[in-house]
Amino acid sequence: MKSSVPSSPRPERGRAHTVLALLATGTMLLTSACAVANSDTAGDAGSADGRTLRVVLTQEPPTLEPCESSLTATGVVVRSNITEPLVERDPTSGKLEPLLATGWRQTKPTTWTFDIRPGVTFQNGRPFTAKDAAFSIDRAVNSDLACNVDGYVFGDAKLDVRAVSPTRLTVTTEKTDPILPLRLSFVEIVPRTTDTKAKVRIPIGTGPYAVKSWQTGVSISLARNADYWGKAPAYPRARYVWRSDASVRAAMIDKGEADIATALDHTSAEAGNTVAYPNNETTALRLDGREAPLDDIRVRKAIGMAIDRKGIIGALLGGLAKPAAQLVPPGVVGHNDDLAPAPYQEAAARALVKQAAADGVPVHRRITLVARNGMFAGIAEVTEALQYEMARVGLNVRIRMADTATHLQYQLRPLPRGVGPVALLIMHGNQAGDAAFTTSQYLQSDGPQSTFGTKDLDRRIAAADALSGKARQKAFADVLAYQNTSVVQYAYLAHMRGLLGLSPSVRYRPDSATGDEMRLSEVSPATAGRR
Amino acid sequence: MTSFLRKRIVSSAIPLVFVVLGVFCLARLTGSPVDLYLPLSATAQQRAEFSAAHGFDDSIPVQLWDYLANAAQLDFGTSLRTGESAGSMVLKAFPVTLQLAGMTMLLAILGALLVGSLAAYRPNSLIDRIAGLLSMTAASIPDFWFAIMGVLVFGVGLGWLPTSGTLGGPEIWVLPIATLLIRPFGVLVQVVRGSMVGALSAPYVKVARSKGADPERVVFGHALRNSITPVLTVAGDLTVGLVNGAVIVETIFGWPGIGKLMIDSILQRDFAVLQAAVLITAVTIFALNILVDVCHALIDPRVRQAVPA
Repeated sequence: MKSSVPSSPRPERGRAHTVLALLATGTMLLTSACAVANSDTAGDAGSADGRTLRVVLTQEPPTLEPCESSLTATGVVVRSNITEPLVERDPTSGKLEPLLATGWRQTKPTTWTFDIRPGVTFQNGRPFTAKDAAFSIDRAVNSDLACNVDGYVFGDAKLDVRAVSPTRLTVTTEKTDPILPLRLSFVEIVPRTTDTKAKVRIPIGTGPYAVKSWQTGVSISLARNADYWGKAPAYPRARYVWRSDASVRAAMIDKGEADIATALDHTSAEAGNTVAYPNNETTALRLDGREAPLDDIRVRKAIGMAIDRKGIIGALLGGLAKPAAQLVPPGVVGHNDDLAPAPYQEAAARALVKQAAADGVPVHRRITLVARNGMFAGIAEVTEALQYEMARVGLNVRIRMADTATHLQYQLRPLPRGVGPVALLIMHGNQAGDAAFTTSQYLQSDGPQSTFGTKDLDRRIAAADALSGKARQKAFADVLAYQNTSVVQYAYLAHMRGLLGLSPSVRYRPDSATGDEMRLSEVSPATAGRR
Repeated sequence: MTSFLRKRIVSSAIPLVFVVLGVFCLARLTGSPVDLYLPLSATAQQRAEFSAAHGFDDSIPVQLWDYLANAAQLDFGTSLRTGESAGSMVLKAFPVTLQLAGMTMLLAILGALLVGSLAAYRPNSLIDRIAGLLSMTAASIPDFWFAIMGVLVFGVGLGWLPTSGTLGGPEIWVLPIATLLIRPFGVLVQVVRGSMVGALSAPYVKVARSKGADPERVVFGHALRNSITPVLTVAGDLTVGLVNGAVIVETIFGWPGIGKLMIDSILQRDFAVLQAAVLITAVTIFALNILVDVCHALIDPRVRQAVPA
């Protein structure tokens, strides 16, 4: 007979309770697991049935409110998919193309008239008229909603918007605005029934797709708009999911769990499943000219000369960028073709810093190099390289990696006080295609993202902004050249390129607008052997 | 038992209060959310109105008082990002994390009891050495590395598992749970082994063996019961730590749980959601700690007597 030896005074029923509790917990968890993991075996992005276009983004859109669509995370889903503007800019040619307006003209120096496309209906079945267009512009620009498009595109401007007939709209500005149609290409049109007191969560528009569902934290599903006025898109359904890690996004393409993946990085992407494209983003160091030693133009120029752009691009950015000499990339009105990136001249840069030091400039004062986590793949390494290169020419630099909100505090006025000299690593995307949007923000003395400037530069910017056509192009090109020689608020790094993951089952050609506005109607199923 | 419970509740509530207050104050030290939520052209008046509407213009003590007064009525405020009730956002996210953490700990404890017991039964044997090596490795591997390697090997390379996501069959649980499991499993194997080695060398086990008791019954019936107390204590601590692990797992695998919600709320300066998430998580951890203590006390009555007054 086997014996048992009591080990403690604890009664037997206690052990029974523990076992029962474990079993109950396990059963509960397994049951609840099955409840969450429902019977849909296709995964978050859906199955590869050829009828659902599956897109994986870097993050969940914070909102789908159309007046916030100049935010990249919102615009990439909303613009020209769910809602549409009156006109749209061709990202390749830079020309404005008709969309919900069939034509437009400047009828007075301060007034533009738009002809509204007839026969268009909203996704709720209501007809689209000039009154809806007027309402949408008023709501986005003249309201108290604090829309992002208002600040980014229109600044302080107020517009007088009138629907003079169901198919005619006039927009009057306070002063002459030669690029008003371009600005209006950022206003997404919504029906007059849209809330004017609060931003909407599920937008209604005239686009080729309508929002079917938004499962917070998991996915956004779109369904083809059966009454769309234009050519029907190839896919009846589209589904967005988001994964913050680039390697997971790349893996989803490799595994066939998604058809398109945004913002891959060269370290985790398979070459066969990716397409590189210019994304209009430019990286640069913004140098705070109010603080010593950055208040000395020799020091600022030295920083520009100390950066080994080709080395950084080749070693740290996978070759997916081009050295920059200005804040706007080619293709943007105002881009100056004659500007060449400052060559890597370490010795000359060191000499400039020494010269400044000899004149009493405190070149050893510590400069804070502020960069934002996740701004682009490899940013930590690039920041360290910049620190090293600035130190090599005799400057004292420390790095501060920040999140978006902290970076914004350094980026936007009112700028933080008492933080010493700051070199801010920025990435500027001119999705509007005109240097006015860059210069008013980044170069003007009181620009929201500028630390300093000169009266002469401000005058040149204002004069250029009043021009149109070739004169405008030349004037802004001159502004960018003048900044490089006489102001030097920026030490440029690179015009960046994006990397898009593409499944072999779809055909899509990304362009410079893709990162901000991915038009799903331009995606089609791949035919055999073709991409 | 009532006295024991009362004392444990009082002593466990103190850190809870510190965590909630600390997060409230630290969040505000990270800066105002105004820049994130208003456009570049926002006027000073618009900024002031935004701040006033959300109570950011009040002093921190006043904001804290308002928060506590509202939280007492289960009103955690509204998310700046989504406009939804912060409480409902947290309550939607919380079960996702709870399921992950619960499944993970259950599997970790069961696996560790089995492997740790086998290793302890024959100290310095091959199985003991393998278990030791595996558990040390498991406890040392960074979560994010294991997660990414899991995706690449089992998702892309072998094609056995989905890369990520929350919709699908039981296979969607494998990589997230394996990622979360690896560290607690490694630690618990060590704890079980150490505890079992001690128990197996105790006089009563020697007596049982000398009387010809069945080896399995000696190990799993007697020694294991006496070894379970430290395992439960460590498992309780590890469960608390799983919330940290959940941040990694939920971010990489796209799980809309409390860890990801907290990270998003910090990055977006969504104070109401962050505070609600921290408070509800802290209360849950508080309850878990009490539960572990109660289990502990039920198993070992000496614990009940050891709690200082």
